[in-house]
Amino acid sequence: MNTILDIRNLHASINGKEILKGINLTIGEGEIHAVMGPNGAGKSTLSAVLTGHPAYTVTEGEVIFRGKNLLEMPAEVRAREGLFLSFQYPVEIPGVSMTNFMRAAVNAKREHEGQPALSATEFLKLMRAKRALVELDTKLQNRSVNEGFSGGEKKRNEIFQMAMLEPTLAILDETDSGLDIDALRIVAEGVNKLHTPQNAAIVITHYQRLLDYIVPDFVHILADGQIIRTGDKSLALMLEEKGYAELVKR
Amino acid sequence: MSMQSLHIARGEHKHLLIYYTANESAQWDIVQEADSQLTIHLFALDDDPEIRSDIRLTVRQAGEHAETYIYGIGLLTGTQQASVLTHVVHEQPYGISRQLLKFIVKDEAQGSFIGELIVAPHAQHADAQQTNRNIVLSPKAMMHTQPQLEIYADDVKCSHGATTGQLDESALFYMQQRGLDAATARQLLLTAFFHEVLTTIGNEAIEERMRKKIAALLQGEK
Repeated sequence: MNTILDIRNLHASINGKEILKGINLTIGEGEIHAVMGPNGAGKSTLSAVLTGHPAYTVTEGEVIFRGKNLLEMPAEVRAREGLFLSFQYPVEIPGVSMTNFMRAAVNAKREHEGQPALSATEFLKLMRAKRALVELDTKLQNRSVNEGFSGGEKKRNEIFQMAMLEPTLAILDETDSGLDIDALRIVAEGVNKLHTPQNAAIVITHYQRLLDYIVPDFVHILADGQIIRTGDKSLALMLEEKGYAELVKR
Repeated sequence: MSMQSLHIARGEHKHLLIYYTANESAQWDIVQEADSQLTIHLFALDDDPEIRSDIRLTVRQAGEHAETYIYGIGLLTGTQQASVLTHVVHEQPYGISRQLLKFIVKDEAQGSFIGELIVAPHAQHADAQQTNRNIVLSPKAMMHTQPQLEIYADDVKCSHGATTGQLDESALFYMQQRGLDAATARQLLLTAFFHEVLTTIGNEAIEERMRKKIAALLQGEK
């Protein structure tokens, strides 16, 4: 099996404060990894650092993504290489239509891969097919990006974008937060349908609930900037039962 | 300074498009009669880096139920200096006024918006909104904004808001995370900033022409 992502001794800080203190994590094709942990453990920092958020500084370690040095790439190149983040708080962009935004994104990736840009017709066909996957309302695609979307619509829109871009590695940052059970089911089903033996996902979550729907191969507990335990899905269940305090203590 | 006077008769609807061109100073004195409707679009989208322009708009609502809509877009580059002053007076009851002016200033450009809004004692049930939003793109660019409301009637609905800030960094990162390079993302965001004003023009050909001018001015924006 091929390795998609290899994180080695990753340290990162923001405003001089160290948040990640030596993360080691290897993700192979076809795998789903859950990263769980208490608030402030560094879960969202991990996704921000991997995707190249400018506020964070990597102070030590390396990250290899599909055989290339991820940390050397600007954020947009990481995206075009197949790294996708489903944002915990998707950003509203008034005045930029979903359609134009997605067309620019899809074609940027295609250009990167040496493929011709999609024609308007091909693109709309692709939008239609992918929209169905997350039951996204037609009217949403004519609106500005995330503007006025409900919490559930925003998360569904993230998965829709994921479907459009077909990433090799998707990071789902607290995708379950703010979702009712129906929206959670739709989002999770979308993620599951997109999962193939060739791609992988990191599911960052605070609660076990999401993992009933998206079943992970590995569960990692992140605390104070380090992975303190790794197990299978039973670890998440144990966590639910005993709470973080018990595990973090050890 | 050139002076222009305009009288808008009872019930008349008037739409003015005012384009700033190089070194223009103009004062408009407009009087609106009852039930008239005035829409003004101001554009400061010139690529001449030396521009000094100064536009002053005085609008008096001299009759009841007059409606005034003032929209403005300014994209100032180089060492351009442009100022807009609006002086809107609600003199009679049931007047409506809406002002939405947006500026982007880059390089060493300087922009100024002064919005004087007066609701006379007699002008009950006035409904007035004034909004000014600005983005400053470089440390040497400057935007001056000064809303000034004088309200002498007591049964009115008036609001104003003025903000000046930088480009939304979180939106920029969001777009980059989807594969758009920084320059494209910035251009999309800055064009989008004007979107809500552009859609009020109500003429697709002009709207498209303005979008093209904006895109051209933003070309190479880093």
